[in-house]
Amino acid sequence: MERVAEIKAKMAELLSQPVDALGDDIELTSLVNSSFVLVEMIIEMQEEFDVRFTQQEVTGVTTVGQLVKVFADRLA
Amino acid sequence: MTSEPIDENLRWILSFYRTSEISGALFFGQLARSMRPGPVQRDMTQHFADEAQHAHYWTACLEQLGASALRLGQSYQDQYIMAAGMPVNLMEVLAITQVFEKRVFSQYARHSRLLDLHPVVKKTLTKIMDDERWHIEWIRDALAGMRDDYGEDVIAATLARFHAADEDVYAKTATEHQERIDYLMAHSRRNDSK
Repeated sequence: MERVAEIKAKMAELLSQPVDALGDDIELTSLVNSSFVLVEMIIEMQEEFDVRFTQQEVTGVTTVGQLVKVFADRLA
Repeated sequence: MTSEPIDENLRWILSFYRTSEISGALFFGQLARSMRPGPVQRDMTQHFADEAQHAHYWTACLEQLGASALRLGQSYQDQYIMAAGMPVNLMEVLAITQVFEKRVFSQYARHSRLLDLHPVVKKTLTKIMDDERWHIEWIRDALAGMRDDYGEDVIAATLARFHAADEDVYAKTATEHQERIDYLMAHSRRNDSK
């Protein structure tokens, strides 16, 4: 649970959004003006948490909750 | 500065180039900031500085032609991500960029072959293409350096995926902006017949 909060906090920081705005069902694309911002966020989060994902691992991820879960599962 | 106003299609095309260069500069600038220091970050820093400079070249070019840049929305790069899926690691970012840079070079080369090209546009294209050659080279070398980390097959498959997306996006863009493409093609045909 602590890890999830940490992941969300980092995500909020990188997207310049309040943590409260990052509900699990929120579509990631609705949070940004450009898809490039999402790419930057995901890569920067991998640097931050020292993990690396493949395309397969994030295929189908469209919401905040799904992305948080991908990170949380890897960091568990 | 020219006295005659430039064709609106040319104004749009040069503005489109400018928007793409700005998007590239911002993207690589952000990425470079988040990366660990090292050779890739060093080259990426040069790359985004070049792209910002190119955007300035296009702005200056438009001004010398007596026109101002158009404010365009979505850049060509945005469509890549929509077509190919989001790059999820540095290798994928470099792969999509490699494909994109080749497309840019090819487009600029095609444009520069127009015989009745305005000298200001020609000069701008030539300057930018010199940088673009290096962009393709440094990314190719960086990807080669990632073979042990990611696997040669994975890199090749990623490049193939982005190449396929590139073909789709280019075809879609060509259809969407047929009038602009026709403008370029009309000039090409005129030159071919000379």
